[in-house]
Amino acid sequence: MGVSSVSSVIAIVLVVVAAVLIGAFGIRVSRTTSDFYVASRTVTPLWNASAIGGEYLSAASFLGIAGLILTYGADMLWLPVGWTGGYLVLLVLVSAPLRRSGAYTLPDFAEARLESMAVRRVSSVLVVLIGWLYLMPQFQSAGLVFRTITGAPTWAGGLLVAVVVAVNVLSGGMRSITFVQAFQYWLKLTALAVPLVFMLLAWGTNGSPGLQPQDPWALPLHGREHPVYATYSLILATFLGTMGLPHVLVRFYTNPDGRAARRTTLVVLSLLGAFYLMPAIYGYLGRIYLPNLDRPDAVVLTLPGHLVGGVAGDLLTALVTGGAFAAFLSTSSGLTVSVAGVVGQDMLRIKDGVRAFRVATVLAVLVPFALAGTARALPVADVVGLAFAVAASSFCPLLVLGIWWRRLTTAGAVAGLLAGGGMACGAVMVTIIGGPHTGWLGALLAQPAAWTVPISFTVMVVVSLLTPSRVPPNVARTMVRLHTPETLDVDRGDWRPRST
Amino acid sequence: MTTQQHDPSVYEQIGGSERFQELKRRYRSWAFPMTVAFLAWYLLYVILSGFARDFMGAKLFGNINVALIFGLLQFASTFLIAWAYARHSAAKLDPLADELRHEIEGAATDTAKDTAGDKA
Repeated sequence: MGVSSVSSVIAIVLVVVAAVLIGAFGIRVSRTTSDFYVASRTVTPLWNASAIGGEYLSAASFLGIAGLILTYGADMLWLPVGWTGGYLVLLVLVSAPLRRSGAYTLPDFAEARLESMAVRRVSSVLVVLIGWLYLMPQFQSAGLVFRTITGAPTWAGGLLVAVVVAVNVLSGGMRSITFVQAFQYWLKLTALAVPLVFMLLAWGTNGSPGLQPQDPWALPLHGREHPVYATYSLILATFLGTMGLPHVLVRFYTNPDGRAARRTTLVVLSLLGAFYLMPAIYGYLGRIYLPNLDRPDAVVLTLPGHLVGGVAGDLLTALVTGGAFAAFLSTSSGLTVSVAGVVGQDMLRIKDGVRAFRVATVLAVLVPFALAGTARALPVADVVGLAFAVAASSFCPLLVLGIWWRRLTTAGAVAGLLAGGGMACGAVMVTIIGGPHTGWLGALLAQPAAWTVPISFTVMVVVSLLTPSRVPPNVARTMVRLHTPETLDVDRGDWRPRST
Repeated sequence: MTTQQHDPSVYEQIGGSERFQELKRRYRSWAFPMTVAFLAWYLLYVILSGFARDFMGAKLFGNINVALIFGLLQFASTFLIAWAYARHSAAKLDPLADELRHEIEGAATDTAKDTAGDKA
């Protein structure tokens, strides 16, 4: 190993140790099951917003966006725009009523609103599928980074992340995760910002070279086939999919009240906006200096060494590597907590809540790790985009119609979830296993949201109207609960799933 | 925070309250149009980039063209809407929610007094 690799390995070790230590620091306060799940609602807005940012900025944001922007140009800027804008849609349409429902996971909401175990089970399966689809590329990217740095086989990096996440989640649960996540946001911001400053200085002393003449990179709608369709689909998936991501929703419950939740969202938008400016510049510089990179996902790692060079370059590479591992660890931890919560409550027949959560944690990490080894390595931001598309075509209609439309029926909800979620999952499978395909079919499969979201909404509405007898009996009371201000001290049902 | 246990009638009481209906109406009449406008504003940008290239590429000053200004405006508008929502909630929704709370809790206290009176 050269000096560069050694300093990068040290950076990885530091990030891992820091994550474990901060996690252990939180153990003292997390003892009961409810501490594990919602951190007792005692987290302040800035901490919580940093934690949301830290959890949300995954390998796709840290590595993937810059890679896609390098390859396909300005169109890919819609990814960060949508990943930020989704929070606004979530805030305005869903967050307040959902907090009031007293249910803090998507399956809880589905059951509380529709009074049906069938809807709950379908929702649970979808949450787990979305979580695994999101986790898989995190492990793959960890493998890619670890291989780039040390030459180790690709499974090694994924295994490292999987083990650290499992240990961290098992030892601390949500409370410690909040502190880990908040720390990770600031680490990731620093890890991209400091190298960027040095790179821009180097670029300036280089005479600020621009793009090749005739490079259509900066022109809109030039990157991929059927760009208008693909962009519309991407916007729909990201804006509407954010509300259906299991690890995002749980965070809104760690605010003490609705006002704090709104303040948190404002801070989140600023934090994400600040962060997402940087991958765009990385992509631009990458297009100038490293246009023919073998794996564009690695551009963030290779660019600092290429541009700055020497010991400074090694140190900057180490910093970026540390930041990348922070990204893998934080997103994977948050997703693992959410997936394990659902698996532990709904899929395992274990009575002891804490023990069920532990078994579920192992399962939540193991399956995507196995998938990461077998599935083809598509660009990480594309795979994460597919997870958004599944969420937008299943949970977005369920949440929006569930909160705002009284006539939604059990049958309608199940049909819509199965139709939208099922078709989006099918498109994802075909793309991951056999793709990427070309032509119109390829575009429709690679960006399914533009057709699966309308289908899901339509099926839910039409089936609901056809089955008016299946409106849940207590819908009037549930609607009052959802829309009664939180300051009103009524019994919202200290919501617990029924034992089956 | 402790939650009081209520019999189901309190939900009917809240649901029937004019303040509650007004609260829901104010929330909806802000949130729905804003969400539609927000999405339309973004989708419009894509269409303009595709089919009104001359307009989007028109240089305003130096290397700054219309597309860049629009892009920055989209960025700004996301923040503005979130901020406007927080303002709207604080100014229009929270006071009404407090009134509703006083109405319901006042009624609940009266009922409690009545019950206590019956017992005495």
